[in-house]
Amino acid sequence: MPELRKDPIIGRWVIIATERAKRPQEFKVSHNSQSPSQDCPFCSGHEEYTPAEISAIREKGAKPNGSGWQVRTVPSIVPLLYSSGELEKRPHGIYDMMNGVGVHEVIVESPRHIASLDELEPSEISQVLEMYRQRILDLEKDIKFKYVLIFKNHGARSGATGSEHSRSQLIALPACPKSVKGELDGAKRYFDYKDRCVYCDMISQEIGDKKRLILDQDGFVAIAPFASRFPFETWILPKNHSADFSKNSDDELYSLAKIFKEVLHKIKITLSDPPYNYMLHIAPYRRPKPGYWSTIDQDYHWHIEIIPRLTQVAGFEWGTGFYINPTPPEEAAKFLREAKDG
Amino acid sequence: MGELRLDPITARWVIISTEKNFGPDNYQVEKLDTEEGICPFCEGKEKMTPPEVDADRAKDSKPDTPGWQTRTVPNKYPALANQAQMNKSGVGMFDMMSGVGDHEVIVETPDHSKQLADLTIEQIKRIIRVYKRRSLALSQDERFKYVLIFKNYGLVAGASLEHSHTQLISLPVVPRRVTEELECFNRYFDYKERCIFCDIVRQEMEYRHREVCENRDFIAFCPFASRSPFEISIVPKKHQAQFMDISEDIIDNFALILKEVLVRVKKTLNNPPYNFIIHTSPVNSAQQEQYHWHVEIMPKLTKIAGFEWGTGFYINNTSPEVASSYLKKVEVQDY
Repeated sequence: MPELRKDPIIGRWVIIATERAKRPQEFKVSHNSQSPSQDCPFCSGHEEYTPAEISAIREKGAKPNGSGWQVRTVPSIVPLLYSSGELEKRPHGIYDMMNGVGVHEVIVESPRHIASLDELEPSEISQVLEMYRQRILDLEKDIKFKYVLIFKNHGARSGATGSEHSRSQLIALPACPKSVKGELDGAKRYFDYKDRCVYCDMISQEIGDKKRLILDQDGFVAIAPFASRFPFETWILPKNHSADFSKNSDDELYSLAKIFKEVLHKIKITLSDPPYNYMLHIAPYRRPKPGYWSTIDQDYHWHIEIIPRLTQVAGFEWGTGFYINPTPPEEAAKFLREAKDG
Repeated sequence: MGELRLDPITARWVIISTEKNFGPDNYQVEKLDTEEGICPFCEGKEKMTPPEVDADRAKDSKPDTPGWQTRTVPNKYPALANQAQMNKSGVGMFDMMSGVGDHEVIVETPDHSKQLADLTIEQIKRIIRVYKRRSLALSQDERFKYVLIFKNYGLVAGASLEHSHTQLISLPVVPRRVTEELECFNRYFDYKERCIFCDIVRQEMEYRHREVCENRDFIAFCPFASRSPFEISIVPKKHQAQFMDISEDIIDNFALILKEVLVRVKKTLNNPPYNFIIHTSPVNSAQQEQYHWHVEIMPKLTKIAGFEWGTGFYINNTSPEVASSYLKKVEVQDY
């Protein structure tokens, strides 16, 4: 059973995989093998290669774990956390830890062997987003979980391994991750001071300024944030205030699918298909407990953060949480705004 | 000239280099260039760097000529600039300040073929004294609130030149991670009236299952909640807030443990890239005696994936107990 351990200095949680403990020689190589589609466990027709599916969007009449699906969610073959068992928190001398209770799922975005999400039609991307919504709502029912993370590693340098078949990952956690907490605290501080959402203020300033604006369409904006940590860092935010991704209607998800496709495509042609990560930033599940603040619906604003992996994070960033970014976001936004095919 | 920008949500500062203005073509996805041509850090190439600010050199030798053991020069491509006026301003809802700071490179040896782990104890002691001298010198400038000493070894770790060197950056603000650490030290002290790091050292010396090695003045261990595999902390046993207050009588043992740890890392993991950072208390601000300086060494073995940067939640596939058992097993000679 893996363990979650809390760093006593920073308050940061770490998953320690006690079972899969890697030996030194296992780290060396960077396999860049692309599994051919006949071996790909995520392709249509290969459903038996994965553990039994948790959920799927499929044609009427098609059977679970058979073909005929559009989006399919399966448990991870190499899970970081296990869903069985009760959450147990305990001390270890002066340290604190808890057992690794959680969920790790893989969301396969298409039955076809495509390499990136932007190759899909908006209507297909919309179904992927509907799957995100469904999984978030479903996992909310388990009171063990405080947070659901949905993210993607695209390309080997981003941490992706195995088949290149386009997919997202989902992790449900028994603790709210540290940087999510940092965001929530920051948003709350701003709200306490100004009685407005910091993200809403940011959106209106970026729409007015235009310098860091990449796209503004159908109720969503894509921007290069003012204090981008990484070159070409891009955020997509809904213009209407909402703390929860799961409250989006089908129509809203379709609009999001359109802007998402366009942004990913712009990144692809601007930086010649770079590795990237994206992550859905959403409010944690609200489980009433004493001292929990009640304004989270007003002060937090869900969004998507996309980070192309172009630079190495070096000692300086590690040591300080202080990032050095060689591309001003105004330049990045300009390149992305003007990106055109061919 | 760069700018410092504050993320309004997480209070995270970012340096934006307005000078480089890198476009898409400045990034190459997989760059594996071995060093070509002339190395500016080699003996005899002193004119290729900006004029030196510090050097250990033979009595009769002139600055910026051969005859040195260590040499400190301003970074040719600094992330921050020293001459700038300190200037804080707002842009609409955002906050920024001018990129005031120093960025120096400490060349650790004239010998291009040696890495830090290969150097003699005498040479490592010289390097530690340079760290101390430069920290003291830069903390004289009251604009600076923090002096960071770090090293990137190997291309994956972010190093741009192969010749062994350390970097030093002085900053006009205390970095976020240091502030967080300080808050934690203070919270613990308020509650227990003890230093948390002194307690950690005591616990690690008692249990010993994460220990890598120790001597009279220092202990090296894999931290309980290691973020990355084979992460190592080197901590002075006696409480001391500031690295630059290190006294001559413990420099010996610091050099010894640093060398031993680096040799163990090199042998265990087949000469991996790594990052090395000295965590120390801020300068020119209210006394922060609660802090306890230490060194973090982070071999770069895995890629940081979307999950880690997005959450500050790290995944580590080697428990520190397993890591320390491998590191301990290595045969090292007495230095």
